[in-house]
Amino acid sequence: MKKISSNTIEENESAGKKRTRIEVISDILRVILEKKGSIKPTHLMYKANLSHKSLNLYTSQLIKSQLIIKTQNQKDNKNMFEITPKGMAFYKQYSQVREFEKTFGL
Amino acid sequence: MKIILTPDWFTQFDVSIEIFSFIILALFFAFSLKSYRLNKNKKCLYLGIAFLLIAIGELATILTKFILFYDTTFTQNIGRMIVTYNITQSVDIFYKTGFFLHKLFTLAGLYILYKFPMKKLSSGDVLLAFFFLIISALAGQQIFHIFHIAVIILLVLIINNFYITYQKSRLENTKILIISLSILTLSHIMFMLSLKGIMYALAQIMQLVSYVILLIIIIKILKNEKNIFKYYRRK
Repeated sequence: MKKISSNTIEENESAGKKRTRIEVISDILRVILEKKGSIKPTHLMYKANLSHKSLNLYTSQLIKSQLIIKTQNQKDNKNMFEITPKGMAFYKQYSQVREFEKTFGL
Repeated sequence: MKIILTPDWFTQFDVSIEIFSFIILALFFAFSLKSYRLNKNKKCLYLGIAFLLIAIGELATILTKFILFYDTTFTQNIGRMIVTYNITQSVDIFYKTGFFLHKLFTLAGLYILYKFPMKKLSSGDVLLAFFFLIISALAGQQIFHIFHIAVIILLVLIINNFYITYQKSRLENTKILIISLSILTLSHIMFMLSLKGIMYALAQIMQLVSYVILLIIIIKILKNEKNIFKYYRRK
């Protein structure tokens, strides 16, 4: 199956580059979207290729900017991260910009 | 002396095509600026400046042609004043300045579009290049071939840069961009040969086609949303 665009993890791994802050944020949002809008913190850490420290740092920033929210799973009462409409709008905008940049080889 | 080569039956289309080109260039400028605001990549800013300059060039020619074709009061006044040699000179200066700005901004924008992927820009090289751009724009006022030759050279260099990018990325959008710029290059070759009005009209239509293809890139980027949210919609 074709992967969605703006997967900076794969892009940067192949180029041997470190991800920028905005790329990490976009990867977090993409991973949450791929998990249908909500994800467990451990899954997010693994799928977005983050350390525990970075995960806490970035998720607290994203919660503060209202791009994601922390919720609790009704089944097992475990913590979940959920993308907000603002987060979706931001990811949409970022993906368009990334696609534009790639067109020009940036 | 005939100021422009547009045949009378094509004047409306001529300005419309240039307005359309201006809108597309402005959209590309907006995208570049949005991109720069998000990730502070200076190359995005240079790309934006390139599109902005070409757009300003288009605007200069639109305004000049608009007054030339449609502003009857202005042209009637010219008719009344034409008896005085000095005034005729000043009227000439108005049109010449308009078309000179079009040439200068277009060449400057294309030069930045060619140079922006390079890692380091020496200020001496840039200064020298802009000197030649001004010379080309000035000389293009008398011999219009010079302007088109300069545009063709720059476009070929830009296409070559994007072809290298395409070989690495194999992105469809980059391929579309190359096709569009190639058609634009062909249109400038036709402009050079446009001693007759029909050839000029055909060249303008080719320019329109190239900008329509650029619009396709914008539409494709905006439609990328479908791809992004396909996972989310399954919920």
